[in-house]
Amino acid sequence: MRKLLDFLYRRRTLAIFIGLEFVCIWLIVSYNQRQNADFLNSSNALSARISTRSQNISDYFDLVEINEQLMLENEILQAKLNVRISFPDSVVQSSESYSVMGARVINNTFRRSSNFLTIASGSDEGITAGMGVISAKGVVGQVKSVSGRYATVFSLLHPKVMVSSTVKRTDTNCSVQWDQESYDLASLKFVPRHIGLKVGDTVVTSGYNSVFPPNVNVGVVSDINLEEHMTFYEAKVKLSVDFTSLPSVFVVVHETKLEKDSIEAL
Amino acid sequence: MSRISIREQIFNFMALFLIQLPLLYRITLGDRVFGFFYIGFLVLIPFRISRPYLLLAGFFSGLLVDAFSNTPGIHAGACVLTMYIRDLWLKIVIDDTEELTNLNHISLKKTGLLLYAFPLVLIHHLIIFLVENGGLHLFGMLISKTILSSLFSFTIIFVLNYLIVPKPRRT
Repeated sequence: MRKLLDFLYRRRTLAIFIGLEFVCIWLIVSYNQRQNADFLNSSNALSARISTRSQNISDYFDLVEINEQLMLENEILQAKLNVRISFPDSVVQSSESYSVMGARVINNTFRRSSNFLTIASGSDEGITAGMGVISAKGVVGQVKSVSGRYATVFSLLHPKVMVSSTVKRTDTNCSVQWDQESYDLASLKFVPRHIGLKVGDTVVTSGYNSVFPPNVNVGVVSDINLEEHMTFYEAKVKLSVDFTSLPSVFVVVHETKLEKDSIEAL
Repeated sequence: MSRISIREQIFNFMALFLIQLPLLYRITLGDRVFGFFYIGFLVLIPFRISRPYLLLAGFFSGLLVDAFSNTPGIHAGACVLTMYIRDLWLKIVIDDTEELTNLNHISLKKTGLLLYAFPLVLIHHLIIFLVENGGLHLFGMLISKTILSSLFSFTIIFVLNYLIVPKPRRT
């Protein structure tokens, strides 16, 4: 024992080095597994407050863009309102109800190989981990962890995020997952070869996993590849959300999620 | 052997480290060039500090950076490795380390600073991008990202070093 301690003391630099690297590896691995990982992320009070400050400053320079986006959002809402009024759909009555909550984005990355957003709403506003996040143009991501007033969100540009979606024209179930290449493209998975997929088909969320409401835009098919031996198409989707400018997002609250999950678990 | 210049360390800390925190992943050129110049502060810590302290300094500043970028462990791990090889590398590159205390463009000369700091910055960036990428796929992009980002970070460190450490006046 004495000899071991002596040895460790003589080699203390190496020992500390190995010890610290182990801690780092443990942090990296555990962060990828746990949903609600603790304080070491951008929703903790200190880093979120500093991010808010710097976002406040840069917001002034983006005011024109923000206004344009708001105008666009208004237009979309107006269009939806008109549809509501002219065609009351009384045939299919869904008991599922979703509501949305606006939130300000205070930090957003899109050029890294796994990207996150930080938003300035947290558990005080009723946000919990796992909720979906959308913008007026389409799917943005999923809440990863929350603190009192802030939340960290997995961007759709994170390889661990898979969105259950449908090809609108053919009603085919599929998944959309980012392939780390470019911030406006993701890959479309599990579309079987007998479906006549075309460039230009719209891909929307399916609503099956109760994270996103059905029929939220994901993107448009932009590139298709199908070879003899393949069971599924290899296709790319041009994402409808522009991740380079996201001043604000909506968090989706699924009011009947608990009920749905409990009946599906039976 | 000269004394450790506290003033230089404080300026290094403020200019290279504190400014970086809110600007991490915001200082970019084009698509794939990131500036992680906070590593300059760690690389330029005076030479006489003992290595266990260097490792701890690297670990905690890495963790602080991680808290801002949702990457627990990645920056810390890269910093600890950089700090571990720092002094070994310095002894290989610089022949005469007897007189060395403060590390800057005067004590190391321009070429010395380049030879000493740039490979360390490169290794630090390589580890970060490699771990973040989660493997060796998209290899070309990974390498170009690493090299361009290191050049960018090193340029910032080099320029800031010129601003922080003034040329000695000849009398």
